[in-house]
Amino acid sequence: MRRIIASVRDGRGFDFVLVGVPFAFLFALAGLPLIYNILMSFQEVDMFSLGSFIRPFVGIDNYVALFRQPETWPILTNTLIFVVGSIAGQFVIGFGLALFFWTSFPGASWLRGLFLVSWVMPGLVVGAIWNWILSGDFGVLNFFLRESGLITANIFWRSDPNFSLWAVVIANIWLGTSFNMILLSVGLSAIPGDLYEAADMDGANAWQRFWTITLPMMRSTIGAIIALGLIFTLQQFDLFAAITDGGPNNSSNVAQYWAWDLSFRQYDFGRGATISVIMTVFVMFAAAVYVRSTRHEVRG
Amino acid sequence: MGIRKHSIAIALALTCASLVSFQARAEDVKLTLWSLDRDIQPAPNLIKEFNEQKNGIQIEYRQIQFDDVVSEAMRAYSTGKAPDIIAIDNPNHAMFASRDAFLDLTDMIEKSTVIKPENYFQGPLKSATWDEKYYGVPKATNTIALYYNKDLFKAAGLDPEKPPKTWDELVETARKLNDPSKNVYGITFCAKANEEGTFQFLPWAQMGGSTYKTINGEGAVRALTTWKQLLDEKLTSPDTLTRSQWDSTATFNAGNAAMAISGPWEIDRMLTDAKFEWGTALLPVPRDGAQRSSAMGDYNWAIFSSSKHPEEAFKALEFFASKDATMYKDFGQLPARADLPVPPTGNAVKDAALATFLEQMKYAQPRGPSPEWPKISKAIQDAIQAALTGQMEPKAALDQAAEKIKSIEG
Repeated sequence: MRRIIASVRDGRGFDFVLVGVPFAFLFALAGLPLIYNILMSFQEVDMFSLGSFIRPFVGIDNYVALFRQPETWPILTNTLIFVVGSIAGQFVIGFGLALFFWTSFPGASWLRGLFLVSWVMPGLVVGAIWNWILSGDFGVLNFFLRESGLITANIFWRSDPNFSLWAVVIANIWLGTSFNMILLSVGLSAIPGDLYEAADMDGANAWQRFWTITLPMMRSTIGAIIALGLIFTLQQFDLFAAITDGGPNNSSNVAQYWAWDLSFRQYDFGRGATISVIMTVFVMFAAAVYVRSTRHEVRG
Repeated sequence: MGIRKHSIAIALALTCASLVSFQARAEDVKLTLWSLDRDIQPAPNLIKEFNEQKNGIQIEYRQIQFDDVVSEAMRAYSTGKAPDIIAIDNPNHAMFASRDAFLDLTDMIEKSTVIKPENYFQGPLKSATWDEKYYGVPKATNTIALYYNKDLFKAAGLDPEKPPKTWDELVETARKLNDPSKNVYGITFCAKANEEGTFQFLPWAQMGGSTYKTINGEGAVRALTTWKQLLDEKLTSPDTLTRSQWDSTATFNAGNAAMAISGPWEIDRMLTDAKFEWGTALLPVPRDGAQRSSAMGDYNWAIFSSSKHPEEAFKALEFFASKDATMYKDFGQLPARADLPVPPTGNAVKDAALATFLEQMKYAQPRGPSPEWPKISKAIQDAIQAALTGQMEPKAALDQAAEKIKSIEG
């Protein structure tokens, strides 16, 4: 008995307690719902069996039925386009801004802070504002494009199946860029200045310094930010609800919005859970990348 | 001594009083009621009035957000924590009634002197009916009709007292009113990929002789083809596909659309926002003499079958129904009652509009009723959007919808 207490105080047992408490917390608040969700994807669940645990087991019927629906593949493709487009845009613009503010002109840090405003705003508010900006007949974006001569006829960003997904991507890039910028700024300021001095002495130009010092030194930050971006983008829901509702004709529908639509508009919880499971697999992949890329930081 | 005597008497009196009040409170039946009404809408106010009667029934109110009504109610019912009374959106009524989650009120209504089926508009009442039994009472109702801008009619050389009566006339009128150089579309309506789209399309299909069960019928195909024509010829904004009814009608109020299809909830805003003369008309029909139809919205009252006090809950419904006569005056909502005239408001434009909507109400038909309505509605929305974006022909899109609906209904 005493040995156990001693071990808990200072020994193996203490390690177990340290691991066990957060593990129990995670299991209760994230693990159980996840398992429940997976279970639901193998059951036939409607609104009246929502409260009970034992429901008709249907095996992989939900999965089979899901992939038989004609809209499934287009929606998954949309999800991919949305994720890649959003992350690419957020990252490139965010990196550009981070490099720009890195030159530390007077007021740079101040301005950089202001950029965070977009990240602080609730998604639904951002969505409502972009809804107006992207409006076909009276939208500001169309006005600028028309005045600058880029287009001759209005683009119906929200209602043209060729543009609706990109409308949400644009709004999402705007929303996520500042977050990327801040994290990348932190990464940039962590690069020791003497590396650049040495490179300068060796006669490296700005381009070479960027490719051989900045990028390699930022590897873990970039990996982390892309993994986080993937998670945030797959979570993005408000913008779809506010701008296109997934329409027209599912042309801007993505997995996360569809899962909600199936569960809470059509009350087909089993199928909604099935999409969530498919998405979970992707997010786990992202999480693995994230953990790998931040591993170096943890070990110092 | 005197003081002491008095104080004893007072103490006794107080004890008695508190005993009486304690007893009264113990006898009060507590009911819970859920609805999405805000403080200026009927439910909370009617409950307040009801509770002030002190007739031994006290109602506790809980406001629920629009998106949560059904899922909250389902969760509560399946875990045995349902409220006694709920206000439910009419297309969702059958879903609960068919599972006996709602109480069959047929017998109570038969005995009631306040709630009489013959006093209600047929559409709303039908939405609260399942298997020829009454599972609820209509709370309020609304429908859609045609708004039109009389000033633009005159400017286009049209008679402002002769709004279009048939679909062909509607398209023709829209063509005449359409003026891209002035940013004016001929008409605005809503074909959004949610319940609003179904709400606006179904009446057209029904006027053409189809129902949701025969959604690929000839009339429905012609209806969708007409909609497509309006979009293809740019007589309506392409954003009709993603804009809500409320936002669409806002463009009418701003003078950017010459006609609009929407409901009576627009009237008050239009009176302040629209800086032109406007009128209302019944929804145009496929051809002269064709049957009329219209959409039907708003909520029904229902009592959960798990309620421990069904009699008392029904009394509350009777009280609510007794207040139908002043519903429009107090809350601006139309009661679902055919026997009650909506009293004149003193504003001629508003009264004329209300008269149109009351006339249109006679033809309003519920969506469904079907326990699978949300899925059926989704199939219809998909068809509308596939056809209007040009990805499918109207006939093919509706065929696909009919196929889906058939498999949903089993």
